[in-house]
Amino acid sequence: MAKNEALYEAVLKGKRKDVAEIVQQEIDGGTNVESILMDSMVPAMAEIGDRFSRNEAYVPEMLIAARAMQAGLDLLDPLLQEAGHEPIGKVAIGTVKGDLHDIGKNLCAMMLKGAGFEVMDLGVDCDVDKYKEAVENGAKVVLLSALLTTTMPYMKEVVKGLAGSGAKILIGGAPVTQEYADEIGADGYSDDANTCVKATKIALGIAA
Amino acid sequence: MNTNNNNQELASIRGYSRLKLKLISCEIFFREIGFLLEQSPHEIEVEFMQKGLHDIPTDEMLKRLQAQVDEASKGNYDAIILGYGLCNNGLDGLKARDVQLILPRAHDCITLFLGSRKRYNDYFHANPGTYFKTTGWIERDEIAEELKQLSIPNQMGMDMTYEELVAQYGEDNAEFLWEELCNTEKNYSKITFIEMGVEPDGSFEQIAKDEAEEKKWRFEKIAGDLALIQKLLNGDWDEDNFLTVPPGCTIAADHSERIVRIKPSG
Repeated sequence: MAKNEALYEAVLKGKRKDVAEIVQQEIDGGTNVESILMDSMVPAMAEIGDRFSRNEAYVPEMLIAARAMQAGLDLLDPLLQEAGHEPIGKVAIGTVKGDLHDIGKNLCAMMLKGAGFEVMDLGVDCDVDKYKEAVENGAKVVLLSALLTTTMPYMKEVVKGLAGSGAKILIGGAPVTQEYADEIGADGYSDDANTCVKATKIALGIAA
Repeated sequence: MNTNNNNQELASIRGYSRLKLKLISCEIFFREIGFLLEQSPHEIEVEFMQKGLHDIPTDEMLKRLQAQVDEASKGNYDAIILGYGLCNNGLDGLKARDVQLILPRAHDCITLFLGSRKRYNDYFHANPGTYFKTTGWIERDEIAEELKQLSIPNQMGMDMTYEELVAQYGEDNAEFLWEELCNTEKNYSKITFIEMGVEPDGSFEQIAKDEAEEKKWRFEKIAGDLALIQKLLNGDWDEDNFLTVPPGCTIAADHSERIVRIKPSG
């Protein structure tokens, strides 16, 4: 099925109402719901992510694109479920205990949803048990966020707490580095919301 | 032998040991350091750096601090003392050249205002969502024009006004972006004024109180503790509270209770 250019553009530009309108038209016109999502909307989110990585788009642009995407998903979700559509993976994300910062975490959650993942957003101030519960509920990748060097060390506790659970652990946030990920035995690291999607795909062995 | 060494010799004959120090400090401690300098037994040259370094990417902060350290290292100092903490890794990678560096073991300035990292840690975890205010955080919480372009809040659109957001992204998206990026009220719920004893009157406390009231946050005033800053200026650099970085070594984040460590420069 061909890509709907108008829908692609509306997601890319963050035009929420246009997205909802076009998606509704497509649904009413009998277009395959999976195709609406995978051929027009997901590629638009991938494009905004890549533009962000190239410094051609900034955080506000990425946020409004993700929000526009969500407006379309709200209409598509029940139909996707009916059609037996499976998300490309189930993941959980949360800011670690003691840390209440959520801009980066929210952005990652939106980009992951935009890429076709089912995302459990655990919020902020998450202790080990909260992440464990998410894994029990089916999360295959757990993403930890921290903005402060005071709260970052808690990531080590989470890695220890989830040892043997089978879930992959990815970490990120301003003070976090690849070196730290290696030191605490995390499975990966990413330094922005776009590479976070790529790292999650790699962790699950999905072709990027 | 130069004059400085003669002075030191004289001082030590009289039973004192006067060091020649260079202080490179964030201006956030301006009043505290001004107050403590006259009580230090040492000769201290002072260089204040702008608080705005806190808002720019860490490699940019490091570059500017390294330039200051490099310049000071040409001088005849016994040590370069740093009025900083790890500052979200802004000091991770700072190299000592010919002169040793002394850095408090602190995540950030709040440790220095509270006098110990244990006290900060206890307060931080008992009071999530707290914004700290001191004289410096009230009168020097600004960013210079030349750093604005580099500022992370600026690049993220966090310091845009609502009107600017509307102009750029339209009414519908502006409301959402304001909530996501600019609304600090969401996750913060308290202002704590740390009284350091350097306030000229009650005006700073009142400003902090007014801000809390305006945001409908709780307000608390607690007593600060100058001990750690005083130790830094007095040359009282115990291993538990300070990292001594010998010439040729580099500061590294430690990710432990010790906060910072040294590594050989690579």
